[in-house]
Amino acid sequence: MERVLNKAIKIKEHLNEQYIEIKKDDFKDACVYLYEEKHAILRLMFATDERQIDGVFRIYAVFSIPGIDRFFIIVLPLKEDDTTFPSITPDIPTAHWYEREIKDMFGLTPKGHSDLRRLVLHDSFPTNSHPLRKDWNITESDLKEWGEGIKQKEPYKFMEVEGDGVYEIPVGPVHAGIIEPGHFRFSAVGETIFFLEPRLFYTHKGTEKHFESMRLFDGVRLAERVSGTSSFSHSAAYCMAVERIAGIEITEKAKAIRTLLLELERLYNHIGDIGNMCAGTALQVGYANGAIIKEKLMQLNERLTGSRYLRGVNVIGGVTKDVFLQSNDILSTIDTVTREYKEFMKLLLGSVSHIDRLENTGMLSKEIAQKLGITGVAARASGINDDIRKAHPHLLYDMLEFEAHTMARGDVLARMMVRAEETECSISIINTLLESNYAGALAAGINDIPAYSSSLGYAETPRGPVFYWVMSDKDGKLFRVKLRSPSYCNGPAVPFAVHGNIVPDFPLCNKSFNLSYSGCDM
Amino acid sequence: MFKEILKNLITRKPSIPFPEGFDIPPEEAVKIVSLREKIDTIFGRSLRIRQVDAGSCNACEWECTALTNPIYDIQRFGIDFVASPRHADVLLVTGPVSRQMELALKKTYLATPEPRLVVACGDCTIDGGIYKGSYAVTNGVANVIPVDCYIPGCPPTPIQMVLGLHELLKKLT
Ligand code: SF4
Repeated sequence: MERVLNKAIKIKEHLNEQYIEIKKDDFKDACVYLYEEKHAILRLMFATDERQIDGVFRIYAVFSIPGIDRFFIIVLPLKEDDTTFPSITPDIPTAHWYEREIKDMFGLTPKGHSDLRRLVLHDSFPTNSHPLRKDWNITESDLKEWGEGIKQKEPYKFMEVEGDGVYEIPVGPVHAGIIEPGHFRFSAVGETIFFLEPRLFYTHKGTEKHFESMRLFDGVRLAERVSGTSSFSHSAAYCMAVERIAGIEITEKAKAIRTLLLELERLYNHIGDIGNMCAGTALQVGYANGAIIKEKLMQLNERLTGSRYLRGVNVIGGVTKDVFLQSNDILSTIDTVTREYKEFMKLLLGSVSHIDRLENTGMLSKEIAQKLGITGVAARASGINDDIRKAHPHLLYDMLEFEAHTMARGDVLARMMVRAEETECSISIINTLLESNYAGALAAGINDIPAYSSSLGYAETPRGPVFYWVMSDKDGKLFRVKLRSPSYCNGPAVPFAVHGNIVPDFPLCNKSFNLSYSGCDM
Repeated sequence: MFKEILKNLITRKPSIPFPEGFDIPPEEAVKIVSLREKIDTIFGRSLRIRQVDAGSCNACEWECTALTNPIYDIQRFGIDFVASPRHADVLLVTGPVSRQMELALKKTYLATPEPRLVVACGDCTIDGGIYKGSYAVTNGVANVIPVDCYIPGCPPTPIQMVLGLHELLKKLT
């Protein structure tokens, strides 16, 4: 680390975050050093517009090194008149979307990036207009034209595959099932997918900018609504970030409740996902079984919290409901679910036709997964041992005994089996948590929140880790929120996984990743 | 499983118990039953819905999916979700309508045969919900296409959705 620290112009420590501010010439070198020599993972990368504070934009690249519970954050200040920064994508491919996003949203150009097409904003959004700049505004007529989508102000060029027998199949944004919108363009030869280019961000709702109009305390409600089926983990990560800014230590009880509900969220998602994969292989009985178990868990959620999606529980400083009062209900439901789940898995693993479709389908190699920065279930299924609950223990996770489950195969079957093992792990965590009593109030008292301070918050959603980087302003409002959902990391994996598969297997591959477009598109 | 089915056949017990949510007062239950009759008379026994996600957080979609699970089993009322707007009587729209989905939503609407009924499902569809005021959303479905009926809730539970559809049909007579 000496090599990086020696170059620093400013170093700031905050809990397990180390901010290392660096000059432009050293930026790339520092990042590449961490990535190549220390095998660090690029967790997220984003920009801020801090011109009103000290006259600069800043780029933040957040790394963590496996085995060390610490975040190394390389910070690059950029003067207003100098809006380019050295692209790290050629060395660290994980950065490719982050840098394009920074260009869209802040107008800061990554120099040396090979793909500078727009990512987030679509064709009819005005050129040279960057929503996350603090002095940005847009006229009514521009907004209208953006929605109408007729005037293509910056047309997007899809990659074209040429050659004998290659044809294109465009699909979406509106799909046949009850799923989220996204556009997929297949270049196929016969039935085989040669190349797939997804175009996402149809559900872009300006979430990060919208946060900036809110007070820190109200942000929880929005965080809950970023990605429906990860409502609880998103709000837990957001609350954690704000609590770390304010120096609030939540009580043991609140920690236990959050841990429990995070695992309940994982449970209903994993079982639901395993069931949904059956829809991809037309195994209706499997699909129905998964849906029944999932429904039972969601009804438990509703009995515990009043919300099937566990909303309204997290608040800054703790939680609003003591779900341990209903521990008998939890225990008996989990008991039934466990029994049914075991039967369900027996059914699936005994269905040769089902397993046969999953095996060797949608292969994602460890090497590609590592380069693209794939995360969560998809990464673990490709042999990357990374689980934020283990890597950066929080809540009660350092007191619980469990393993990060990995598989080496990287196919759809592996992604199913990782979920299956994690389901059992979640069940045992829930049972363990219910054995003890926890002390403390539901919510801790709230201190004053310091102006212009920032912190990270994180949680392991059912799909993988979610990160919130939150910065307060001087009036108790949000100055900047960067949120990075696992779906954002895993979106680029799908084209690699489907390469060489047949078009009809695409839904199956896609389901095995189970991306949340709303979480990805922000 | 077969043993269970057999047992249920003999005892005439429904194989899957009704969820808590169906513990509704009798007047509500009557509504659900009359839903079936309405569909029989107006739509010739089948009401076909095309769901369009116009930028929702995805929870509303999962509740639509839940409607089709064996517990709620909405198909028994003659209602089903279809793959194409061309086959649909009703468009069920979720989300605040993000600007980047506005055009696709309009096109889907135009691809639906008349009389295309539009149900807007979830708080977001009413006025943008939590996303109200963001530059990237249109603050509600009615700003993009005409709406016949709203189902409030964030997200509405499957039961609320069934009751919402009932409200829509009530308007038709
Ligand atoms: S109404 Fe609520 S649940 Fe539905 S899309 Fe909007 S935020 Fe999500």
